[in-house]
Amino acid sequence: MSTVGCEHFQEFKSNPNNLDTLRWVHSVFVVGSSKDKRTGLNYNYHQTKIMNSFCHTCNNRGPNLHACIDCVFFGCLPHIREHTKEEHHDFSLELTYGQVHCTKCGDYIYDSELDEINKTNRKRSDTFHRRLFECSTWNPTEEEKDLLTLYTQRVCITDKSQIGLRGLVNFRITCYMNSVVQVLMHTPLLRDYFLSERHFCKTDSESCLMCILSNVFQEFYNGDKVPLLLHKLLHFIWTHAPHVGGDVQQDAHEFFIETLGLLHKHCAESINHTSHAVVTNNCSCIIHESFTGSLQSDIVCQKCKGVSTTIEPIWDFALDLVPGALTLVECLKHFTKAELLDNFSMCESCGLPRQVTKQLSIKTLPTVVTFQLKRFKKSDEGHGKVATKIQFTEMLDMTPFMSTKKADSPFPSDNMYSLFAVINHQGETSYAGHYIAYVRQLKDHWYKCNDEVISRVGLDEVLFSEGYILFYHKHVLGYK
Amino acid sequence: MPQEYGDRVSLHLDVNNGLDSVTELVHTRLVESGWKDEVRLACRKAIVESGDRVPTVDELISTITPKARALIREKVKRELLYKIEHILMNLEKVGYKDLEDI
Ligand SMILES: [Zn+2]
Ligand SMILES: [Zn+2]
Ligand SMILES: [Zn+2]
Ligand SMILES: [Zn+2]
Ligand SMILES: [Zn+2]
Ligand SMILES: [Zn+2]
Repeated sequence: MSTVGCEHFQEFKSNPNNLDTLRWVHSVFVVGSSKDKRTGLNYNYHQTKIMNSFCHTCNNRGPNLHACIDCVFFGCLPHIREHTKEEHHDFSLELTYGQVHCTKCGDYIYDSELDEINKTNRKRSDTFHRRLFECSTWNPTEEEKDLLTLYTQRVCITDKSQIGLRGLVNFRITCYMNSVVQVLMHTPLLRDYFLSERHFCKTDSESCLMCILSNVFQEFYNGDKVPLLLHKLLHFIWTHAPHVGGDVQQDAHEFFIETLGLLHKHCAESINHTSHAVVTNNCSCIIHESFTGSLQSDIVCQKCKGVSTTIEPIWDFALDLVPGALTLVECLKHFTKAELLDNFSMCESCGLPRQVTKQLSIKTLPTVVTFQLKRFKKSDEGHGKVATKIQFTEMLDMTPFMSTKKADSPFPSDNMYSLFAVINHQGETSYAGHYIAYVRQLKDHWYKCNDEVISRVGLDEVLFSEGYILFYHKHVLGYK
Repeated sequence: MPQEYGDRVSLHLDVNNGLDSVTELVHTRLVESGWKDEVRLACRKAIVESGDRVPTVDELISTITPKARALIREKVKRELLYKIEHILMNLEKVGYKDLEDI
Protein backbone atom coordinates (compact mmCIF):
# COMPACT_ATOMS: atom_id res chain seq x y z
CA MET A 1 0.00 0.00 0.00
CA SER A 2 1.35 3.40 -0.84
CA THR A 3 0.31 6.73 0.53
CA VAL A 4 -0.41 9.56 -1.84
CA GLY A 5 -0.23 13.18 -0.71
CA CYS A 6 -2.68 15.91 -1.73
CA GLU A 7 -3.40 17.01 -5.32
CA HIS A 8 -1.17 20.04 -4.79
CA PHE A 9 1.74 17.80 -3.98
CA GLN A 10 1.06 15.60 -7.03
CA GLU A 11 1.35 18.68 -9.19
CA PHE A 12 4.49 19.76 -7.36
CA LYS A 13 6.02 16.33 -7.95
CA SER A 14 5.35 16.45 -11.70
CA ASN A 15 8.35 18.75 -11.97
CA PRO A 16 11.38 16.59 -11.05
CA ASN A 17 13.39 19.68 -10.11
CA ASN A 18 11.00 20.30 -7.26
CA LEU A 19 11.66 16.89 -5.71
CA ASP A 20 15.39 17.44 -6.11
CA THR A 21 15.13 20.68 -4.17
CA LEU A 22 13.14 18.93 -1.45
CA ARG A 23 15.65 16.10 -1.30
CA TRP A 24 18.52 18.56 -0.97
CA VAL A 25 16.87 20.68 1.75
CA HIS A 26 16.05 17.46 3.61
CA SER A 27 19.61 16.13 3.53
CA VAL A 28 21.14 19.46 4.58
CA PHE A 29 18.70 20.73 7.18
CA VAL A 30 16.99 17.62 8.50
CA VAL A 31 19.76 15.01 8.34
CA GLY A 32 22.80 17.30 8.31
CA SER A 33 25.11 15.14 6.20
CA SER A 34 25.17 13.09 3.05
CA LYS A 35 27.43 10.59 1.39
CA ASP A 36 27.82 10.68 -2.35
CA LYS A 37 27.28 7.15 -3.65
CA ARG A 38 29.45 7.51 -6.74
CA THR A 39 32.38 9.38 -5.28
CA GLY A 40 32.09 8.00 -1.77
CA LEU A 41 32.65 11.52 -0.45
CA ASN A 42 31.07 12.66 2.75
CA TYR A 43 29.36 16.01 2.85
CA ASN A 44 28.96 17.34 6.31
CA TYR A 45 26.37 20.08 6.57
CA HIS A 46 26.31 20.43 10.35
CA GLN A 47 27.73 23.92 10.17
CA THR A 48 25.42 25.08 7.38
CA LYS A 49 22.55 23.59 9.31
CA ILE A 50 23.38 25.32 12.57
CA MET A 51 24.26 28.68 11.01
CA ASN A 52 20.93 28.84 9.18
CA SER A 53 18.54 27.16 11.53
CA PHE A 54 16.75 30.12 13.02
CA CYS A 55 13.48 31.87 12.31
CA HIS A 56 13.95 34.73 9.85
CA THR A 57 11.14 36.65 11.53
CA CYS A 58 11.78 36.31 15.27
CA ASN A 59 15.35 34.93 15.26
CA ASN A 60 14.47 32.07 17.59
CA ARG A 61 15.82 28.61 16.90
CA GLY A 62 12.46 27.00 17.28
CA PRO A 63 10.41 25.23 18.29
CA ASN A 64 9.09 23.58 15.15
CA LEU A 65 11.45 25.23 12.71
CA HIS A 66 10.44 24.88 9.04
CA ALA A 67 12.14 25.68 5.75
CA CYS A 68 10.10 27.09 2.87
CA ILE A 69 10.52 24.95 -0.24
CA ASP A 70 9.69 27.78 -2.67
CA CYS A 71 12.21 30.33 -1.44
CA VAL A 72 14.99 30.70 1.08
CA PHE A 73 13.06 31.28 4.27
CA PHE A 74 13.22 29.64 7.66
CA GLY A 75 10.52 30.14 10.23
CA CYS A 76 9.21 28.89 13.53
CA LEU A 77 5.69 27.55 13.70
CA PRO A 78 3.64 30.77 13.63
CA HIS A 79 6.08 32.61 11.35
CA ILE A 80 6.45 29.94 8.66
CA ARG A 81 2.66 29.78 8.37
CA GLU A 82 2.54 33.56 8.15
CA HIS A 83 5.20 33.51 5.43
CA THR A 84 3.72 30.78 3.22
CA LYS A 85 0.31 32.36 3.48
CA GLU A 86 1.42 35.89 2.62
CA GLU A 87 3.82 34.85 -0.15
CA HIS A 88 1.53 32.11 -1.49
CA HIS A 89 4.31 29.58 -1.17
CA ASP A 90 2.94 26.05 -1.22
CA PHE A 91 5.19 23.76 0.79
CA SER A 92 7.39 23.91 3.84
CA LEU A 93 9.56 21.24 5.42
CA GLU A 94 9.60 20.66 9.17
CA LEU A 95 13.27 20.31 10.13
CA THR A 96 13.27 17.86 13.04
CA TYR A 97 11.39 14.94 11.54
CA GLY A 98 11.27 16.02 7.89
CA GLN A 99 7.49 16.31 7.57
CA VAL A 100 6.03 18.32 4.69
CA HIS A 101 3.26 20.88 5.19
CA CYS A 102 0.93 21.97 2.38
CA THR A 103 -0.23 25.57 2.62
CA LYS A 104 -3.37 25.05 0.53
CA CYS A 105 -4.50 21.99 2.50
CA GLY A 106 -3.53 23.67 5.77
CA ASP A 107 -2.00 20.43 7.07
CA TYR A 108 0.90 18.03 6.79
CA ILE A 109 0.81 15.54 3.96
CA TYR A 110 1.99 11.94 3.79
CA ASP A 111 3.38 10.61 0.57
CA SER A 112 5.37 7.49 -0.31
CA GLU A 113 7.93 9.53 -2.16
CA LEU A 114 8.55 11.61 0.95
CA ASP A 115 9.11 8.39 2.87
CA GLU A 116 11.56 7.36 0.20
CA ILE A 117 13.49 10.64 0.49
CA ASN A 118 13.66 10.23 4.25
CA LYS A 119 14.82 6.64 3.88
CA THR A 120 17.62 7.31 1.41
CA ASN A 121 18.84 10.44 3.16
CA ARG A 122 19.00 8.91 6.61
CA LYS A 123 20.92 5.97 5.14
CA ARG A 124 23.51 8.34 3.70
CA SER A 125 23.87 10.15 6.98
CA ASP A 126 27.15 9.82 8.84
CA THR A 127 25.36 9.38 12.16
CA PHE A 128 22.36 7.41 13.26
CA HIS A 129 19.27 9.53 13.88
CA ARG A 130 16.65 7.57 15.72
CA ARG A 131 14.01 10.23 15.24
CA LEU A 132 14.09 9.74 11.47
CA PHE A 133 13.05 6.13 11.88
CA GLU A 134 9.95 6.93 13.86
CA CYS A 135 8.02 9.01 11.38
CA SER A 136 7.72 6.84 8.31
CA THR A 137 4.85 4.59 7.36
CA TRP A 138 5.08 0.97 8.35
CA ASN A 139 4.34 -1.61 5.69
CA PRO A 140 3.96 -4.96 7.43
CA THR A 141 5.48 -7.96 5.69
CA GLU A 142 3.30 -10.95 4.76
CA GLU A 143 4.50 -12.76 7.87
CA GLU A 144 3.70 -9.78 10.07
CA LYS A 145 0.24 -9.54 8.51
CA ASP A 146 -0.41 -13.19 9.36
CA LEU A 147 0.72 -12.63 12.92
CA LEU A 148 -1.51 -9.58 13.21
CA THR A 149 -4.60 -11.51 12.11
CA LEU A 150 -3.78 -14.38 14.45
CA TYR A 151 -3.18 -12.27 17.53
CA THR A 152 -5.93 -9.75 17.80
CA GLN A 153 -5.88 -9.34 21.54
CA ARG A 154 -4.11 -6.16 22.49
CA VAL A 155 -2.28 -5.67 25.73
CA CYS A 156 -1.91 -2.15 27.01
CA ILE A 157 1.00 -1.84 29.43
CA THR A 158 0.05 0.70 32.07
CA ASP A 159 1.26 1.52 35.57
CA LYS A 160 -1.04 -1.17 36.89
CA SER A 161 0.00 -3.95 34.52
CA GLN A 162 1.27 -7.02 36.23
CA ILE A 163 2.92 -8.55 33.20
CA GLY A 164 6.46 -9.48 34.04
CA LEU A 165 5.77 -9.90 37.74
CA ARG A 166 5.83 -13.56 38.68
CA GLY A 167 6.46 -15.23 41.97
CA LEU A 168 8.86 -18.15 41.93
CA VAL A 169 8.21 -21.28 43.98
CA ASN A 170 10.84 -22.02 46.60
CA PHE A 171 11.61 -25.68 46.04
CA ARG A 172 13.93 -27.05 48.69
CA ILE A 173 15.74 -23.82 49.57
CA THR A 174 16.07 -22.31 46.14
CA CYS A 175 15.60 -18.68 47.13
CA TYR A 176 19.17 -17.92 46.01
CA MET A 177 18.24 -19.14 42.54
CA ASN A 178 14.88 -17.40 42.55
CA SER A 179 16.51 -14.08 43.43
CA VAL A 180 19.04 -14.37 40.62
CA VAL A 181 16.38 -15.41 38.12
CA GLN A 182 14.22 -12.42 39.12
CA VAL A 183 17.15 -10.13 38.38
CA LEU A 184 17.88 -11.78 35.01
CA MET A 185 14.17 -11.49 34.09
CA HIS A 186 14.32 -7.76 34.77
CA THR A 187 17.64 -6.98 33.10
CA PRO A 188 16.51 -4.80 30.17
CA LEU A 189 19.15 -6.02 27.71
CA LEU A 190 18.50 -9.69 28.43
CA ARG A 191 14.74 -9.24 28.39
CA ASP A 192 14.89 -7.60 24.97
CA TYR A 193 17.19 -10.31 23.70
CA PHE A 194 15.18 -13.28 24.92
CA LEU A 195 11.72 -11.91 24.22
CA SER A 196 12.68 -11.10 20.66
CA GLU A 197 13.82 -14.71 20.32
CA ARG A 198 17.32 -14.06 19.13
CA HIS A 199 18.86 -17.29 20.37
CA PHE A 200 19.00 -19.75 17.50
CA CYS A 201 20.05 -22.98 19.03
CA LYS A 202 22.54 -25.06 17.15
CA THR A 203 22.96 -27.64 19.86
CA ASP A 204 20.61 -29.87 21.80
CA SER A 205 18.10 -27.53 23.40
CA GLU A 206 17.59 -29.92 26.32
CA SER A 207 21.14 -29.31 27.46
CA CYS A 208 21.32 -25.64 26.48
CA LEU A 209 20.93 -23.14 29.29
CA MET A 210 20.13 -20.40 26.77
CA CYS A 211 17.10 -22.41 25.59
CA ILE A 212 16.02 -23.11 29.15
CA LEU A 213 16.28 -19.47 30.10
CA SER A 214 14.47 -18.55 26.89
CA ASN A 215 11.55 -20.71 28.02
CA VAL A 216 11.60 -19.17 31.46
CA PHE A 217 11.36 -15.70 29.84
CA GLN A 218 8.40 -16.77 27.69
CA GLU A 219 6.55 -18.22 30.69
CA PHE A 220 7.48 -15.34 32.91
CA TYR A 221 6.02 -12.75 30.55
CA ASN A 222 2.97 -14.66 29.30
CA GLY A 223 0.56 -12.75 31.52
CA ASP A 224 -0.26 -15.56 33.96
CA LYS A 225 -0.16 -14.82 37.66
CA VAL A 226 0.50 -18.16 39.32
CA PRO A 227 4.00 -18.54 40.72
CA LEU A 228 6.41 -20.43 38.48
CA LEU A 229 8.36 -23.48 39.46
CA LEU A 230 11.70 -23.46 37.67
CA HIS A 231 11.88 -27.24 37.44
CA LYS A 232 13.81 -27.39 34.15
CA LEU A 233 16.34 -24.88 35.34
CA LEU A 234 16.70 -26.69 38.66
CA HIS A 235 17.18 -30.00 36.94
CA PHE A 236 19.74 -28.47 34.64
CA ILE A 237 21.73 -26.93 37.49
CA TRP A 238 21.61 -30.17 39.47
CA THR A 239 23.00 -32.11 36.54
CA HIS A 240 25.41 -29.54 35.06
CA ALA A 241 26.63 -27.51 38.01
CA PRO A 242 25.94 -29.55 41.14
CA HIS A 243 28.37 -27.49 43.20
CA VAL A 244 26.04 -24.50 43.06
CA GLY A 245 22.76 -26.37 43.25
CA GLY A 246 22.63 -28.91 46.04
CA ASP A 247 20.03 -29.36 48.69
CA VAL A 248 21.63 -26.75 50.89
CA GLN A 249 21.47 -23.00 50.70
CA GLN A 250 23.91 -21.62 48.14
CA ASP A 251 25.59 -18.31 47.71
CA ALA A 252 23.52 -16.23 45.29
CA HIS A 253 26.60 -14.53 43.89
CA GLU A 254 28.40 -17.81 43.11
CA PHE A 255 25.25 -19.02 41.42
CA PHE A 256 24.95 -15.81 39.42
CA ILE A 257 28.52 -16.00 38.12
CA GLU A 258 28.20 -19.71 37.37
CA THR A 259 24.98 -19.05 35.45
CA LEU A 260 26.59 -16.30 33.36
CA GLY A 261 29.47 -18.66 32.56
CA LEU A 262 27.16 -21.43 31.39
CA LEU A 263 24.96 -19.04 29.42
CA HIS A 264 28.02 -17.67 27.64
CA LYS A 265 29.26 -21.18 26.88
CA HIS A 266 25.98 -22.31 25.36
CA CYS A 267 25.36 -19.04 23.58
CA ALA A 268 28.84 -19.07 22.07
CA GLU A 269 28.37 -22.68 20.93
CA SER A 270 25.38 -21.56 18.92
CA ILE A 271 27.11 -18.60 17.32
CA ASN A 272 29.97 -20.76 16.07
CA HIS A 273 32.42 -19.95 18.75
CA THR A 274 35.01 -22.47 19.66
CA SER A 275 36.29 -20.62 22.68
CA HIS A 276 35.09 -22.06 25.93
CA ALA A 277 37.02 -19.75 28.16
CA VAL A 278 34.72 -18.27 30.77
CA VAL A 279 35.79 -14.71 30.17
CA THR A 280 37.20 -13.75 26.81
CA ASN A 281 37.63 -10.28 25.50
CA ASN A 282 36.13 -10.66 22.09
CA CYS A 283 33.20 -13.00 22.64
CA SER A 284 30.10 -11.63 20.94
CA CYS A 285 27.54 -13.55 22.97
CA ILE A 286 24.73 -11.63 24.68
CA ILE A 287 26.24 -12.28 28.10
CA HIS A 288 29.55 -10.76 27.13
CA GLU A 289 27.86 -7.92 25.32
CA SER A 290 25.97 -7.06 28.48
CA PHE A 291 28.27 -7.90 31.36
CA THR A 292 31.90 -7.57 30.23
CA GLY A 293 34.01 -4.57 30.98
CA SER A 294 37.74 -4.30 31.52
CA LEU A 295 39.92 -3.46 34.43
CA GLN A 296 43.25 -1.68 34.12
CA SER A 297 45.99 -2.41 36.59
CA ASP A 298 48.93 -0.01 36.83
CA ILE A 299 52.06 -1.09 38.66
CA VAL A 300 54.20 1.97 39.39
CA CYS A 301 57.84 1.69 40.40
CA GLN A 302 58.50 3.96 43.36
CA LYS A 303 62.04 4.63 42.19
CA CYS A 304 61.76 5.49 38.50
CA LYS A 305 58.00 5.99 38.36
CA GLY A 306 57.91 3.59 35.44
CA VAL A 307 54.42 2.19 34.84
CA SER A 308 53.54 -1.27 33.65
CA THR A 309 49.93 -1.64 32.65
CA THR A 310 47.84 -4.74 32.23
CA ILE A 311 44.21 -4.93 31.17
CA GLU A 312 41.88 -7.71 32.11
CA PRO A 313 38.25 -8.43 31.32
CA ILE A 314 35.88 -8.27 34.25
CA TRP A 315 32.32 -9.49 34.89
CA ASP A 316 31.57 -8.10 38.27
CA PHE A 317 33.13 -5.92 40.89
CA ALA A 318 33.74 -7.64 44.18
CA LEU A 319 34.13 -4.85 46.70
CA ASP A 320 35.80 -5.24 50.07
CA LEU A 321 34.03 -3.81 53.07
CA VAL A 322 36.66 -1.78 54.85
CA PRO A 323 36.39 0.35 57.96
CA GLY A 324 35.45 3.90 57.06
CA ALA A 325 33.85 3.06 53.74
CA LEU A 326 30.13 3.38 54.35
CA THR A 327 28.89 4.12 50.85
CA LEU A 328 29.19 2.36 47.52
CA VAL A 329 31.20 5.29 46.19
CA GLU A 330 33.63 5.01 49.11
CA CYS A 331 33.98 1.28 48.49
CA LEU A 332 34.74 2.03 44.85
CA LYS A 333 37.28 4.68 45.88
CA HIS A 334 38.97 2.07 48.03
CA PHE A 335 38.84 -0.40 45.15
CA THR A 336 40.60 2.02 42.80
CA LYS A 337 43.07 3.43 45.31
CA ALA A 338 46.82 3.16 44.69
CA GLU A 339 48.24 0.66 47.16
CA LEU A 340 51.81 0.08 48.21
CA LEU A 341 52.51 -3.63 47.76
CA ASP A 342 54.18 -5.53 50.57
CA ASN A 343 56.56 -7.41 48.34
CA PHE A 344 59.13 -5.91 46.01
CA SER A 345 58.38 -6.37 42.36
CA MET A 346 60.65 -6.55 39.33
CA CYS A 347 60.71 -3.15 37.57
CA GLU A 348 61.24 -3.50 33.83
CA SER A 349 62.85 -0.08 33.38
CA CYS A 350 65.16 -0.31 36.39
CA GLY A 351 65.84 -3.99 35.85
CA LEU A 352 65.79 -4.39 39.60
CA PRO A 353 63.28 -5.46 42.21
CA ARG A 354 61.63 -2.31 43.51
CA GLN A 355 58.94 -1.17 45.82
CA VAL A 356 55.81 -0.64 43.71
CA THR A 357 52.25 0.61 44.01
CA LYS A 358 49.35 -1.07 42.34
CA GLN A 359 46.27 0.82 41.21
CA LEU A 360 43.13 -0.53 39.61
CA SER A 361 40.88 1.55 37.38
CA ILE A 362 38.06 0.79 35.00
CA LYS A 363 39.10 0.79 31.38
CA THR A 364 35.71 0.03 29.86
CA LEU A 365 32.36 -0.26 31.55
CA PRO A 366 29.89 -3.02 30.77
CA THR A 367 26.26 -2.14 30.08
CA VAL A 368 25.25 -3.97 33.21
CA VAL A 369 27.51 -3.29 36.18
CA THR A 370 27.32 -5.72 39.07
CA PHE A 371 28.73 -5.01 42.50
CA GLN A 372 29.13 -7.72 45.06
CA LEU A 373 29.62 -6.34 48.54
CA LYS A 374 31.89 -8.92 50.10
CA ARG A 375 29.88 -9.47 53.25
CA PHE A 376 30.99 -13.04 53.82
CA LYS A 377 34.41 -13.43 55.32
CA LYS A 378 35.96 -16.86 55.07
CA SER A 379 37.75 -16.79 58.40
CA ASP A 380 38.62 -19.33 61.06
CA GLU A 381 35.28 -18.79 62.69
CA GLY A 382 33.44 -19.87 59.54
CA HIS A 383 31.57 -17.71 57.06
CA GLY A 384 30.72 -14.79 59.23
CA LYS A 385 28.74 -11.98 57.74
CA VAL A 386 29.58 -8.30 57.89
CA ALA A 387 26.21 -6.59 58.17
CA THR A 388 27.46 -2.99 57.86
CA LYS A 389 24.98 -0.86 55.99
CA ILE A 390 26.57 0.35 52.77
CA GLN A 391 24.70 3.28 51.32
CA PHE A 392 23.97 3.18 47.61
CA THR A 393 22.07 5.53 45.36
CA GLU A 394 19.64 5.21 42.50
CA MET A 395 21.97 7.00 40.10
CA LEU A 396 25.67 6.30 39.97
CA ASP A 397 28.31 8.21 38.03
CA MET A 398 31.24 5.91 37.30
CA THR A 399 33.43 8.65 35.79
CA PRO A 400 35.75 9.06 38.83
CA PHE A 401 36.76 5.39 38.63
CA MET A 402 37.63 5.28 34.95
CA SER A 403 41.21 4.90 33.68
CA THR A 404 41.04 7.93 31.42
CA LYS A 405 39.33 10.79 33.11
CA LYS A 406 38.00 13.03 30.42
CA ALA A 407 37.61 15.89 32.84
CA ASP A 408 38.64 18.40 30.23
CA SER A 409 36.30 17.21 27.52
CA PRO A 410 33.57 19.74 26.73
CA PHE A 411 31.01 17.00 27.18
CA PRO A 412 30.35 15.06 30.30
CA SER A 413 31.28 11.49 29.43
CA ASP A 414 28.21 9.39 29.77
CA ASN A 415 29.07 7.03 32.59
CA MET A 416 25.73 7.34 34.35
CA TYR A 417 24.21 4.15 35.67
CA SER A 418 20.88 3.54 37.31
CA LEU A 419 20.01 0.89 39.85
CA PHE A 420 17.63 -1.76 38.55
CA ALA A 421 17.97 -4.63 40.98
CA VAL A 422 19.34 -5.54 44.40
CA ILE A 423 19.79 -8.97 45.95
CA ASN A 424 19.71 -9.08 49.72
CA HIS A 425 20.70 -11.75 52.15
CA GLN A 426 18.97 -12.16 55.47
CA GLY A 427 20.73 -14.23 58.11
CA GLU A 428 24.13 -14.94 59.57
CA THR A 429 26.13 -16.88 56.96
CA SER A 430 26.03 -17.35 53.20
CA TYR A 431 25.01 -20.99 53.55
CA ALA A 432 22.11 -20.27 55.81
CA GLY A 433 19.46 -17.60 55.84
CA HIS A 434 17.29 -16.33 53.08
CA TYR A 435 17.66 -14.38 49.83
CA ILE A 436 15.26 -11.84 48.39
CA ALA A 437 15.50 -9.57 45.36
CA TYR A 438 14.26 -6.07 44.62
CA VAL A 439 13.63 -5.38 40.94
CA ARG A 440 12.68 -2.32 38.94
CA GLN A 441 9.74 -2.73 36.60
CA LEU A 442 8.49 -0.23 33.99
CA LYS A 443 9.82 3.23 34.74
CA ASP A 444 10.28 3.67 38.46
CA HIS A 445 8.25 0.91 40.06
CA TRP A 446 10.00 -1.32 42.51
CA TYR A 447 8.94 -4.77 43.62
CA LYS A 448 10.18 -7.03 46.34
CA CYS A 449 10.46 -10.62 45.15
CA ASN A 450 10.37 -13.01 48.06
CA ASP A 451 9.95 -16.40 46.36
CA GLU A 452 6.19 -16.77 45.66
CA VAL A 453 5.33 -13.35 47.01
CA ILE A 454 5.77 -10.20 44.95
CA SER A 455 4.95 -6.92 46.61
CA ARG A 456 5.16 -3.32 45.51
CA VAL A 457 7.65 -1.25 47.50
CA GLY A 458 9.01 2.27 47.40
CA LEU A 459 12.48 3.14 46.20
CA ASP A 460 13.30 4.15 49.80
CA GLU A 461 12.88 0.60 51.04
CA VAL A 462 15.26 -0.61 48.34
CA LEU A 463 17.88 2.04 49.13
CA PHE A 464 17.60 1.43 52.88
CA SER A 465 18.07 -2.30 52.53
CA GLU A 466 21.36 -3.96 53.43
CA GLY A 467 22.46 -4.77 49.88
CA TYR A 468 24.48 -7.82 48.89
CA ILE A 469 24.61 -7.71 45.09
CA LEU A 470 23.78 -4.40 43.42
CA PHE A 471 22.85 -4.27 39.74
CA TYR A 472 23.20 -1.07 37.75
CA HIS A 473 22.29 -0.58 34.10
CA LYS A 474 23.86 2.00 31.82
CA HIS A 475 21.44 4.87 31.93
CA VAL A 476 21.43 5.66 28.25
CA LEU A 477 22.41 3.16 25.62
CA GLY A 478 24.86 4.69 23.20
CA TYR A 479 24.12 4.20 19.55
CA LYS A 480 26.29 5.01 16.55
CA MET B 1 19.72 39.39 16.80
CA PRO B 2 23.19 40.93 16.89
CA GLN B 3 25.53 38.98 14.65
CA GLU B 4 28.04 38.35 17.39
CA TYR B 5 25.55 36.71 19.70
CA GLY B 6 24.37 34.51 16.89
CA ASP B 7 27.85 33.32 16.16
CA ARG B 8 28.50 32.52 19.79
CA VAL B 9 25.37 30.44 20.07
CA SER B 10 26.14 28.74 16.78
CA LEU B 11 29.55 27.92 18.07
CA HIS B 12 28.18 26.46 21.27
CA LEU B 13 25.85 24.26 19.34
CA ASP B 14 28.40 23.22 16.76
CA VAL B 15 31.42 22.23 18.82
CA ASN B 16 31.48 18.43 19.04
CA ASN B 17 27.98 18.26 17.56
CA GLY B 18 26.51 19.70 20.74
CA LEU B 19 23.14 20.32 19.15
CA ASP B 20 22.89 16.78 17.86
CA SER B 21 23.91 15.18 21.11
CA VAL B 22 21.49 17.25 23.16
CA THR B 23 18.66 16.59 20.70
CA GLU B 24 19.28 12.87 20.80
CA LEU B 25 19.47 12.90 24.59
CA VAL B 26 16.16 14.77 24.92
CA HIS B 27 14.58 12.37 22.50
CA THR B 28 15.87 9.28 24.31
CA ARG B 29 14.78 10.53 27.71
CA LEU B 30 11.30 11.45 26.56
CA VAL B 31 10.81 8.00 25.07
CA GLU B 32 12.34 6.19 28.05
CA SER B 33 10.30 8.04 30.62
CA GLY B 34 7.08 7.09 28.86
CA TRP B 35 6.33 10.70 27.96
CA LYS B 36 6.01 9.95 24.28
CA ASP B 37 3.37 7.29 24.89
CA GLU B 38 1.41 9.62 27.12
CA VAL B 39 1.45 12.37 24.50
CA ARG B 40 0.38 9.89 21.86
CA LEU B 41 -2.55 8.83 24.05
CA ALA B 42 -3.48 12.48 24.64
CA CYS B 43 -3.47 13.07 20.86
CA ARG B 44 -5.66 10.02 20.25
CA LYS B 45 -8.08 11.24 22.87
CA ALA B 46 -8.20 14.73 21.36
CA ILE B 47 -8.88 13.29 17.91
CA VAL B 48 -11.63 10.99 19.15
CA GLU B 49 -13.25 13.80 21.14
CA SER B 50 -13.22 16.20 18.21
CA GLY B 51 -15.87 14.05 16.51
CA ASP B 52 -16.30 14.02 12.73
CA ARG B 53 -13.94 16.81 11.87
CA VAL B 54 -10.36 15.56 12.18
CA PRO B 55 -8.22 18.33 13.67
CA THR B 56 -5.17 19.48 11.72
CA VAL B 57 -1.72 18.80 13.11
CA ASP B 58 -1.37 22.51 13.93
CA GLU B 59 -4.59 22.43 15.95
CA LEU B 60 -3.38 19.34 17.77
CA ILE B 61 -0.04 20.99 18.49
CA SER B 62 -1.71 24.01 20.03
CA THR B 63 -4.06 21.99 22.24
CA ILE B 64 -1.55 19.32 23.26
CA THR B 65 1.63 21.39 23.72
CA PRO B 66 0.76 22.90 27.13
CA LYS B 67 -0.36 19.53 28.47
CA ALA B 68 2.66 17.78 27.01
CA ARG B 69 5.07 20.29 28.54
CA ALA B 70 3.48 19.76 31.93
CA LEU B 71 3.89 15.99 31.58
CA ILE B 72 7.68 16.05 31.31
CA ARG B 73 9.20 14.39 34.38
CA GLU B 74 11.04 16.62 36.82
CA LYS B 75 13.92 14.16 36.76
CA VAL B 76 14.32 14.54 33.00
CA LYS B 77 14.24 18.34 33.23
CA ARG B 78 16.84 18.34 35.98
CA GLU B 79 19.16 16.06 34.06
CA LEU B 80 18.93 18.13 30.90
CA LEU B 81 19.56 21.33 32.78
CA TYR B 82 22.61 19.76 34.36
CA LYS B 83 23.88 18.50 31.00
CA ILE B 84 23.41 21.80 29.23
CA GLU B 85 25.00 23.73 32.07
CA HIS B 86 27.92 21.35 31.98
CA ILE B 87 28.35 21.69 28.24
CA LEU B 88 28.24 25.49 28.36
CA MET B 89 30.60 25.73 31.30
CA ASN B 90 33.15 23.46 29.69
CA LEU B 91 32.90 25.29 26.41
CA GLU B 92 33.93 28.48 28.12
CA LYS B 93 37.02 26.64 29.22
CA VAL B 94 37.80 24.46 26.25
CA GLY B 95 35.77 25.43 23.21
CA TYR B 96 37.15 28.88 22.57
CA LYS B 97 40.72 27.92 23.22
CA ASP B 98 40.49 25.22 20.59
CA LEU B 99 38.93 27.60 18.14
CA GLU B 100 41.64 30.21 18.56
CA ASP B 101 44.10 27.64 17.30
CA ILE B 102 42.29 27.29 14.01
ZN1 LIG C 1 9.54 32.97 14.47
ZN1 LIG D 1 8.80 31.03 0.85
ZN1 LIG E 1 -2.31 20.31 -0.53
ZN1 LIG F 1 19.90 -23.24 22.90
ZN1 LIG G 1 30.50 -15.05 25.67
ZN1 LIG H 1 61.77 1.39 38.19
